Amino acid sequence: MILDDGATILSSAIRLAAPLGFAACGEYLAERAGTMNISIEGMMITGAFTAVAAASATGSATLGLLAGAIAGLVIGAVHGNASHRLAVNTFVVGLTLNVLALGATSFFNESMDLTGHQVAQVSIPVLRDIPLVGEPLFVQRWPVYLLLGLIPLTWYLVERTRWGLELRAVGENPQGADVTGIRVNIRRRQALLWCGLFSGLGGAHLAVGAVGSFNDNMTAGRGYLVIAAVIFGAWRLRGTILGVALFGLADAMRLALPAVGVKLNSQLLIAAPYLLALAAMVLVVRRTRQPAALGKPFTRGIV
Amino acid sequence: MTQPPRPPRSAAPAIELRGITKRYGRVVACDGVDLAVRRGEIHGLLGENGAGKSTLMKVLSGLVRPDSGVILRDGVPVDVADPHVAAGIGVAMVHQHFSLVGALTVWENVVLGEGREGRDRCDGGLAPAGGQGAHKGWLAGARGRHGQGRGRLRRDEACADVVRVGERYGITVDPLARVDSLSAGQRQRVEIIKCLRRDPDVIVLDEPTSVLSLAESRDLFAVLRRAVTGDGAARDGAVTGDGDLPAKAVVLISHKLAEILGATDRVTVLRRGRVVTRRATADTDAATLAREMVGREVSLGEEAAALGLTPPILSTGAARDGAAVLEVAGVTVGAPSGVPLLESFTLGLRAGEIVGLYGVEGNGQSALGDVLAGLVVPDRGEVRVAGEAVDLRRPGALHAAGVGVIPEDRHRSGVVLDMSVADNLVMTDLGPVSGRLLVSRRRQLRHAAELAERFAISCPSLDAPLRTLSGGNQQRVVLARELAGSPAVLVAAQPTRGLDVGAIEGMYGELRAAAARGVAVLLVSTELEEVMALSHRIAVISAGRVVGELDPAEADAERLGLLVGGAVGDHAATASALVSGRASTVQAGATGDGR
Ligand SMILES: Nc1ncnc2c1ncn2[C@@H]1O[C@H](COP(=O)(O)OP(=O)(O)OP(=O)(O)O)[C@@H](O)[C@H]1O
Ligand SMILES: [Mg+2]
Repeated sequence: MILDDGATILSSAIRLAAPLGFAACGEYLAERAGTMNISIEGMMITGAFTAVAAASATGSATLGLLAGAIAGLVIGAVHGNASHRLAVNTFVVGLTLNVLALGATSFFNESMDLTGHQVAQVSIPVLRDIPLVGEPLFVQRWPVYLLLGLIPLTWYLVERTRWGLELRAVGENPQGADVTGIRVNIRRRQALLWCGLFSGLGGAHLAVGAVGSFNDNMTAGRGYLVIAAVIFGAWRLRGTILGVALFGLADAMRLALPAVGVKLNSQLLIAAPYLLALAAMVLVVRRTRQPAALGKPFTRGIV
Repeated sequence: MTQPPRPPRSAAPAIELRGITKRYGRVVACDGVDLAVRRGEIHGLLGENGAGKSTLMKVLSGLVRPDSGVILRDGVPVDVADPHVAAGIGVAMVHQHFSLVGALTVWENVVLGEGREGRDRCDGGLAPAGGQGAHKGWLAGARGRHGQGRGRLRRDEACADVVRVGERYGITVDPLARVDSLSAGQRQRVEIIKCLRRDPDVIVLDEPTSVLSLAESRDLFAVLRRAVTGDGAARDGAVTGDGDLPAKAVVLISHKLAEILGATDRVTVLRRGRVVTRRATADTDAATLAREMVGREVSLGEEAAALGLTPPILSTGAARDGAAVLEVAGVTVGAPSGVPLLESFTLGLRAGEIVGLYGVEGNGQSALGDVLAGLVVPDRGEVRVAGEAVDLRRPGALHAAGVGVIPEDRHRSGVVLDMSVADNLVMTDLGPVSGRLLVSRRRQLRHAAELAERFAISCPSLDAPLRTLSGGNQQRVVLARELAGSPAVLVAAQPTRGLDVGAIEGMYGELRAAAARGVAVLLVSTELEEVMALSHRIAVISAGRVVGELDPAEADAERLGLLVGGAVGDHAATASALVSGRASTVQAGATGDGR
């Protein structure tokens, strides 16, 4: 009985954490390059809507997933170009995009007739019968396993490639990176594109993977939660993923506890992930390793 | 890889600037400057603070677009649109202010940003106007000349390379250290290794020696000499498979006339953006250069001594018997690495005296400066001002107690680069310019204007962001602010670093005047002549503690050298440890290659 409940909670924790996981990889990249990417919320919701719309049009949830990722990419491109080429403050761009995306997706959702689609479920025989962890780990929608590959890829990109080294330099000391011959704003835009791709995928997975349909404001601030996860992880990928897992777990508890009969203020539980993030920030603040130039625009000047 | 087309080894200078003009609003930073630097020569570039030296070199390295003028590389006009093009045509610059990324390790910094450019250099390195060469390189090959491709980072290779380049030019530095943890001198070495590793044909060094000790500077000049005579390059030939690499050309900016006289082949002097002279170094002397720089006779007295031109002149006037104003008692500051930065550091200062704290860079001076600036809370010990212990945990307590600090690294803790000159001038002390609640803008500007006048700060306007001032003028802003606060104690860390001859004259005058007013002055300096010229009492710091105190009358270079000797001994030990460590690393590298 307890095992069953545990498995259910774990299972839904992983399901709920997966969309955050995709987006967190993206936000992590963007922040290491020095961009505090607020528009991640907009990327996720646009990804979610586009995925459902495309799936409904083509009948394929997988194509929907792809379309969602591309929609995120487009938002990333808009964000990057507006804040670098038009020199609009990145926070302003981000907030604007979020409001726009929320409004547009709600509007189109209302005016279009969308049918729900969901990507295939993977269920691995034998392994799924392991008590407690069997079902959560081995019965999931397939993009969850894609995420498992994406995390090490992100780590490798940042820590082991020249591109990643330049990305970190750009986030730490853009003036210095510039005089060494790195195109600072191009690197930052590239990071934003990755972020858009991953976040769009995260939103798409939420819609056509985890839920199977789109409803208004379905991301409900998950983008901001992802930003909190990166801060929670002190700008390291491992910590970020840990944060995502914790938030997923807190979310799963919120859904599961009432079902098990535990009475807790649900409002409080909704706030739990955010409280967790706040507590973590207070606790880790001393050894925080925030990129030195995070959120600071770059213009070439006297060095 | 195909042999790149050899640039014609004709008489054309390696790099030539013609008629470069750059205006910033009303300020003309460079005014039709011509400069030619030939292969195999070290070219000195001299001029007052704000003369336009850095601007000119930034034009050459693509950071600043000139309003007019052309750049010729081996006689071919090139359009240096940005730093990438500069890298592509083999121009590398070591900047006046460090451009390293502190959060990264030495080897990461060294390989940073060279992926693409490495390949361009393989392609011949000559970008015709428009910088198409840079794009040719993009498509060309898979890996750079040192085996660092675009994709994966090869840490071991890069580390071995850092050691190898260091070895070839006689510079040691640990490739795995985080740049954050290095002293100014060590960082300078990293910059230079980074620059040399790219094997540029033209090297520009903007005041590289301002943070180096005498010995370190000498080493640097030896390295440069090897580079221009093609010594290092010839040995490099074995590695790159390229027999006769042409000799390099070097541009060296410095305010230290002795260095210019000793290390360069030709000099160009700039004044207010114009070339005033251009001649072979052998045909000139310090007095002439100083006059040409400043445009008037400079009394080459003790300032000259500080610049290393004449033997030290002793300061006169014995230490006074005033009451102790500043007492630093048993201050210990630990370092993350374990070895304390300051160990039971004890020193007292009386009113009206200048105490010179002399020592080799990196013996705890920065930590002391940080403690006295209130940036670091010591593990043990206390600081008393006028007999009363100061609560070091409270921010601003030292400042409130009357300790003014001219910090060693002005960019890190001295100024806010994006705020205006006027704001920076009054930043620490809003008392005189504000009412109970509001800052009076009129009073602030008046006050700032007075200071700018008194300290001869040249800036486009008081509202200009500090970022737009020349290096030396940024420094004067800090000096002016701290001296104007009428402190009881003034801590001046390397106060003349980066100042020109005339400004040093002024600086010395200000420090003496402060002492005469009864301020206790602590002069932290690595310049022997400066300490001897100004101090009433000399304390020697080594390995984080005061190892001896001397009267300037009985101090001479030898005795001080002996006292610093503790440090020197340590350095020798470290040096030999480094050398043997280096040898083993190299061996490791060799076996690594063998596998
Ligand atoms: N970005 C800028 N905006 C406005 N003015 C500038 C800018 N950069 C430089 N200047 C001005 O151009 C002049 C030349 O500055 P530059 O930095 O070239 O001097 P410098 O010769 O290197 O002096 P120093 O010895 O003090 O480093 C100065 O008067 C400076 O105020
Ligand atoms: Mg300069």
